[in-house]
Amino acid sequence: MRRYHSLLAAVAILALGGLLSLVLADYRLRLLNVSVISAIAVIGFNFAFGLAGLISLGHAAFVGLGAYTLAILSTAFGWSPWLAIPVAILVTTLFAGLIGYPLLRLRGHYLALATLGLNVSFTIVVTNWISLTGGTNGISGIPELRLGAFAFNDERRFLWLGLVLLALCAAFAVTLQRSRYGRAMMAVRDDETAARMTGIDVTRVKITALCLSAAFAALSGTLFATHVRFVAPEDFNYAHSIIYLAMLIVGGEGAVAGAVIGAALLTFLPEWLRFLGDAYLAFFGLMLLAILIFLPTGLVGLAAQLRRLGGHREAETTS
Amino acid sequence: MTLLHATAISKRYGGLMALSEVDFRVAPGEFVAVIGPNGAGKSTFLNVLTGLTPPSAGRVLFDGRDVTRAPTHRRIRAGLGRTFQHGRLFARLSVLENVMTGAAIRTDRTESQLRALSLGMLDRMGLVGEAHRAVGSLSYGQRRMVELCRALACGPKLLLLDEPAAGLNLGEVEQLMARLTALRAEQELAVVLIEHNMGMVMRLAQRILVLNFGCRIAEGSPAEVQSDPAVLSAYLGEGYGNAQH
Repeated sequence: MRRYHSLLAAVAILALGGLLSLVLADYRLRLLNVSVISAIAVIGFNFAFGLAGLISLGHAAFVGLGAYTLAILSTAFGWSPWLAIPVAILVTTLFAGLIGYPLLRLRGHYLALATLGLNVSFTIVVTNWISLTGGTNGISGIPELRLGAFAFNDERRFLWLGLVLLALCAAFAVTLQRSRYGRAMMAVRDDETAARMTGIDVTRVKITALCLSAAFAALSGTLFATHVRFVAPEDFNYAHSIIYLAMLIVGGEGAVAGAVIGAALLTFLPEWLRFLGDAYLAFFGLMLLAILIFLPTGLVGLAAQLRRLGGHREAETTS
Repeated sequence: MTLLHATAISKRYGGLMALSEVDFRVAPGEFVAVIGPNGAGKSTFLNVLTGLTPPSAGRVLFDGRDVTRAPTHRRIRAGLGRTFQHGRLFARLSVLENVMTGAAIRTDRTESQLRALSLGMLDRMGLVGEAHRAVGSLSYGQRRMVELCRALACGPKLLLLDEPAAGLNLGEVEQLMARLTALRAEQELAVVLIEHNMGMVMRLAQRILVLNFGCRIAEGSPAEVQSDPAVLSAYLGEGYGNAQH
């Protein structure tokens, strides 16, 4: 049953994404790549925010740390990006674990402020540590990912790679969410004291959730770096953290499908609403408010509600 | 032999002594009740025993180990269990998942073992029909029983129950007592019960500790405690206990 769920998530992503990769034209493919890369970060964010209830506004810093680690290793040190990806993930996860110990003593709004501060600090450091990061000029000339003679150097090819990784991430996340570890995270979010009373080490669960979210963020960052092949500080400023949060809330927190749907929707929405011009931001704000008030469980929650409604009707007609 | 041994437990909040030098022992399999008027320090005492509140002074030994400074989850893993006065469930998990979270205390259990064990526990408590419901849709009494199932799924040697009968109707209280008795007949489970329902206390408890203003004022069998002048005075007012002399 559980295997079936994670398999379903992976197959749905590969089938739908694969189909779109064949019919869409170049610019839309680029947006789809951006969606896929964001979706991996948002699936990670869901561990911290959706499951463990950690209000973090610094997720973009973890994405940035992953991206910069890969950029530096593959340009200044000439590493293969394939080798740099796991190292970038490892570095970011360790960083999250180290910073998690002091940070996660804070709760709620205090944690939100501290993580926001972490993100702002990250931007300041990469902007000013010019010898390592190139400052505001960023790092260019990041090598492309390639398998033998096959280079992931156009939008369609990169999308295939991104989709496979996203499918793996989604399957992993669904499996984890339905395991004792996922339940422990949700227990910590719902009631820390009661969680302790079932033998759960609350601090450890929170740090694990943060590390997992950072690992996914780092993978997303390394994909960003090898897709755009250029990184700069503003790609990872705190506004991006808030966008990840918005993606998860719109899609539906606590759900892997919500993370993917939210990431895709908020990537494409600005393009669809381009006719609004600057009024888009007002629309975006109102939409987010409306979702928070009327759909606190996001689009995935709406789908579940409709299904339940349909189920009741069916039950009525058959009885 | 002693399962739980608390010595000279004191807890001070500013100028208020919530607990002062309370000694307490529980033997394996024993059923002890802690009673006292509101504000006597009963819940604070449970908080100290479970590690939610550090004591200002005193020592807690559990199963031969000093756990005075041990974090709560360690004590739970060592065999201490507790339910709360107002029932605390994980709102986003189903009934079954709540109990499975307790059963997961043993890391060597597979997912299907967790499921089977939790369903078995729910079955014994008469809740197996509600296994897949959201906890928010349960009645108050059912929620409290789910919390008890979750605590039992951790496999405790000593279970601390904080007013388990509060808010239950008469039928539910009878059920709760019958199930606790049945459970203790099958396995060695010590219970410390905090309860205002004296009928329940007198029927179940082998020994009673009476607290008032954070101090131990009496301890003994139900019969002894019922006739103790200090207890009568604490419950019925100054004059009553003295008048017995």
